[in-house]
Amino acid sequence: MNTLTISLKNIRKNLSFYALYLFSAAFVITVFFAFLSFSMDDIIVEKISSDGRVESMCRTVSIFLMAFVIFYMTYSNRFFLRRRTEELGIYALLGYRRTSILALLCCENVFLCTGALLLGLFFGSCLHRGIVLAVTALLDLNVDPSGIPFFCPRAAAYTAGFLLVVILLLSASNASVLLRTSLIGLVRCRKKAEKKMKFHRLPAVAGLAMTGAGYLLALDILRGEDSIWITSGFYLTGMITLSLVVCGTVLFISAFLPFLLNRERKDEDRFYTPSRIILIPGFIYRIRSGARTLIMLSLLSAAALTVSSVMALSLYYPVAALSRITPSEIEFRVTEEDEISEARSLVMQYTSDPGETSFLETDIYTVSSGSPGEYLPAEYSLGTTDAASKSSGNLRDPGFKCISVSSHRALLKAQGREKAAEQVPALKDNECILIKYEPNRDGSSEAGRTYSLQVGSEEIAVTVKETSMENSVSFANSVGTLIVSDDLFREIDNSALPCRRILSVNGNGVRDNEQLYSALNHFLEGSPYLQGHSHRQRELLSVNSSTFLLIGFLVVLFFIASGSILYFNNLTAVSDNKNDYRILWKMGYSRKRIRRIIRRQVLVFFAIPFLFGLLDCIFASLVYKNALMQNLLGNSLLLYLPVLLAVLMTGVIYLIYWLITVHACCRAVFTDSGTGRT
Amino acid sequence: MKPVLEARQLSKRYPGGPGPALDSVTFSVDRGEFVGIMGASGSGKTTLLNVLSTIDRPTSGKILISGTDLGTLNDSDGAGFRKDRLGFIFQEYFLLDSLTIRENISVPLALKKIPARKISAAVQRLAERFGIAGQLDKYPAELSGGQRQRASAARAIIKRPDILFADEPTGALDSASSTGLLNVLSEANRELQTTILMVTHDAYAASFADRILIFRDGHIVSELFRTGDRQDFYRDIASETARLDGLRTQPRQHV
Ligand SMILES: Nc1ncnc2c1ncn2[C@@H]1O[C@H](COP(=O)(O)OP(=O)(O)O)[C@@H](O)[C@H]1O
Ligand SMILES: [Mg+2]
Repeated sequence: MNTLTISLKNIRKNLSFYALYLFSAAFVITVFFAFLSFSMDDIIVEKISSDGRVESMCRTVSIFLMAFVIFYMTYSNRFFLRRRTEELGIYALLGYRRTSILALLCCENVFLCTGALLLGLFFGSCLHRGIVLAVTALLDLNVDPSGIPFFCPRAAAYTAGFLLVVILLLSASNASVLLRTSLIGLVRCRKKAEKKMKFHRLPAVAGLAMTGAGYLLALDILRGEDSIWITSGFYLTGMITLSLVVCGTVLFISAFLPFLLNRERKDEDRFYTPSRIILIPGFIYRIRSGARTLIMLSLLSAAALTVSSVMALSLYYPVAALSRITPSEIEFRVTEEDEISEARSLVMQYTSDPGETSFLETDIYTVSSGSPGEYLPAEYSLGTTDAASKSSGNLRDPGFKCISVSSHRALLKAQGREKAAEQVPALKDNECILIKYEPNRDGSSEAGRTYSLQVGSEEIAVTVKETSMENSVSFANSVGTLIVSDDLFREIDNSALPCRRILSVNGNGVRDNEQLYSALNHFLEGSPYLQGHSHRQRELLSVNSSTFLLIGFLVVLFFIASGSILYFNNLTAVSDNKNDYRILWKMGYSRKRIRRIIRRQVLVFFAIPFLFGLLDCIFASLVYKNALMQNLLGNSLLLYLPVLLAVLMTGVIYLIYWLITVHACCRAVFTDSGTGRT
Repeated sequence: MKPVLEARQLSKRYPGGPGPALDSVTFSVDRGEFVGIMGASGSGKTTLLNVLSTIDRPTSGKILISGTDLGTLNDSDGAGFRKDRLGFIFQEYFLLDSLTIRENISVPLALKKIPARKISAAVQRLAERFGIAGQLDKYPAELSGGQRQRASAARAIIKRPDILFADEPTGALDSASSTGLLNVLSEANRELQTTILMVTHDAYAASFADRILIFRDGHIVSELFRTGDRQDFYRDIASETARLDGLRTQPRQHV
């Protein structure tokens, strides 16, 4: 028989076995091809990319993707090779030369990869179409999806070429394995007498201590100004924390877990139970060979989870912060009187029901204070010396911006924030409310402080009744806002202080009205004091969503890959030890109990990467949120919602993979005649 | 004496098999007996053992072990029954690689939820009797075949099963190790009154039993009882198997 017929026969005989390989390869090719089609699609890419960012990101992602495809294919190829060494050993015993065996493997790989390529091209085209539809809908792109071809030949050629390289790589790796292994090693490669595992206390304790220290260091960020992160510098502390956690994870998995379980093993009263006597030694046995995979998956899960939640956080945060940055739907500073009537007529022109729209004019007075500088709140002089504001010409003068409590209430009501409006307390003439830009880092509050305001020649003392984060005017037009009583406001009004007038437009008709916004923007000649809530939101979404899409794509890919690796890894471990389960069954372990043992064995391998990923991600996003992000929204737990979502999604993916793996493992154990009483 | 095992009219047909692997087999085993089952390869010995030990179901027939009808057991009853009453030794040892010898021997008792203290004491006692006390903290891979098989016998005997099933336990051992194991088994049979049903195709191994059932083509063709000492019994078995071989080859010559 020539090699070709043998390999064809082989594939036909072990169809279900090869199907797994075929589908997993088809899956990665689908993803790869869909991505290539997407990034080679000039129509879409030009639409979503304004500055070449998407193109460069696509290039980065495609490098990751190639690395991933190579890694994944090598891993599954190794897995299948290992499961087939016995069969190959028999060929060798029968007198086939190694080169013929190698040719057999190559043939098989070519067959399988061709099949996978065809499947991948078809499903990849479907996936690409789905992505195009989703992107156009999501970003409101003005594209006719039917103009984009279903099948992209250029991407297909690239994919096929790349796959050829992958096949060559796989063949080289197979060759190196085959030529290195002796004949006897081929015939019985599975059960090698392995070395005894040693349990050292020092690395075990070090693993625990380093992981703990890393997490404690991360928690230290919560101490605010005194934290090591601020005093010793963010990058230094970050590097130290990162190395502690990485080394700690490595030692924790390779030394601490076996050490801990070995102690459990010594504790006879706890150890001699039907499940533990099988589970604990089994885990220690497996970690000897599986520690590296487990460490790699834990670190990668941690990285992927952290990246995705930090990313989700940094996309979600600016959108959530819009309620403070631009509280009104549209707001601009009035410089000439006729701007108001002109704006009104523009609104009439572009709105379907103008009756619903509220126009509020608010006067804001800049009042300086005679109080000593260090006593004044940070907001008083915020943005007066900042280099960034200076260069953009937005430098503001120091001072309190005073508005009256009734116009504050009216604005809140117009913005639909009824509850916040009700909570605004009544003010006496010597009282005020200070609007904070962000909460003070040390957690202090200015409530109770008295500031002197210079109104004309008079010095008026006002006491801060409370501080609030509920601003009714955008930060572009007012930072360091003081809400004062109407009487005091009248007094300020009468004393010829610098004043600016803003117009706030709210209501259903103007919401999400891009045409109106661009008309106003054109009319105001691009004034930086024009603020549009929906416009800003749109802008944020379209700038970030392509980033989000691409990184999200990578992250999902990673979780699917790690799930598959765990699947393969556990399935091999369980089916290699099929005999063990059969013995247990003969000794009187019921199927139910064996299934429970398998479930728990597999669970450990899924839980370790997940839990490490979870912990690392929680601590990393804590640091990120507290050290690197503005604190416009205070310390609400709600801000961690995206992190929670990322974690939940990971949990669900792992859960599904765990169930699938347990199912496959149980099937591998139970369908065999040895334990099957049909 | 009431029999511990009774098999009546047992038949077993494998789907697609040419004929029945077991063909109306009827016999019984008394408590404390050491019964050997002999026969050529393919004569149905392993099938018989599987059927008797709840691992497989007969196509027809009835099996009673200590009064329990195996036909009435479902999967989890079967597991419970094996846990409480049966012990196994296999040709390939089938020790669990990840467990030490001590843990391997302890598994049946741990499964029966016996307190750890009692388990340790029982393991120690049995290991001394079986001559593997020094190997208890080693892994199966570090032991010789004979030591492994003795460990596997200890694992089967430790829970004091009603019947111990052994399928060619000496099949992979050299003669010295075989003798060691067989001595241990017959000692357990005499001193612990363990009932043993041992499959073998080797007359020497069979001579350790009290009674021999000889199988051919799925049924019992001959039964031998030990009357004198082991050497005499060995000669009886050897001549009987030679006679049966003659019977088997003669008709063929006419074909
Ligand atoms: N699982 C099975 N499926 C089909 N036929 C079987 C199976 N097991 C055994 N047989 C057949 O049953 C007969 C008896 O086999 P077995 O009991 O293993 O014999 P022994 O143990 O005496 O060598 C043989 O002909 C064998 O081919
Ligand atoms: Mg047999």
